[in-house]
Amino acid sequence: MRKRNQDAEADEAQIDLTPMLDVVFIMLIFFIVVASFLKEAGIEVNRPESNQNPPESDATSIVVTITGDDQIWMENRRIDIRAVRANIARLLASDPEQSFTVKTEAGATAGTLIEVGDAAREAGVKQVNWPAEEKR
Amino acid sequence: MAAGSRAGTQSGGDDGVIDLTPMLDVVFIMLIFFIVTSSFVKEPGAEITKPEAYTTDSCERGTIIFAVTAVGDIFYDKKQIPVERAYRLAEAAKKEAPKANFVIQADVDAPTSVLSQLLGVIKPLMDAPLCASTEEAG
Repeated sequence: MRKRNQDAEADEAQIDLTPMLDVVFIMLIFFIVVASFLKEAGIEVNRPESNQNPPESDATSIVVTITGDDQIWMENRRIDIRAVRANIARLLASDPEQSFTVKTEAGATAGTLIEVGDAAREAGVKQVNWPAEEKR
Repeated sequence: MAAGSRAGTQSGGDDGVIDLTPMLDVVFIMLIFFIVTSSFVKEPGAEITKPEAYTTDSCERGTIIFAVTAVGDIFYDKKQIPVERAYRLAEAAKKEAPKANFVIQADVDAPTSVLSQLLGVIKPLMDAPLCASTEEAG
């Protein structure tokens, strides 16, 4: 008898949690879905602070130039995209701390730029620098 | 009598009722975790062919995304924008999520001149190197 009364009393004070639970679950599912919505992947490209003062010691930096017609020039000769990695690796072997810069001319395409950056990263370059294109 | 019968059914049902409190605690903690970690991404919504790269890495917190199409149009939040507006939009996005980093989705045939211009515009807001979106090769 006593137990019964206690139960009845407790019932009076109890709040029905079901609607709140519904809302909370819907919010939870929404945020889970949104959280794993997009995973961008890519390669990092650094823009040097300013192009007013280019690295004074060009001798200790690897420079690859992409011309307006997507040709790749390195050390005053034209090279194939497949040879970029080997060439950079060769230069990097003498001084692994060398910085890497890729210069582009107006007309070059992003595909070539990224291919060169990718090749450089494969060769072991830590950071790909891409200064602003020079106005002509 | 009515009260008596109600109490009777309730106490009978008590045995079958599960205590939801621990589950609620867990659900709330998960909810708060996901709210805090979620970052809303505005997708550029442009049709592009991503270049392939062997050294593709995940873009840490890369949630401010611009796209440059093959013809050199810049897209942000499903709208084409002029390069001059990119700074305003980037600034607003950066204010909304100060830890977010920039990503540029460039088409394989996108001109680097547009890319360079865009990068020059948003450079003052960047505190990490730009992430150029690529596809894992192979």
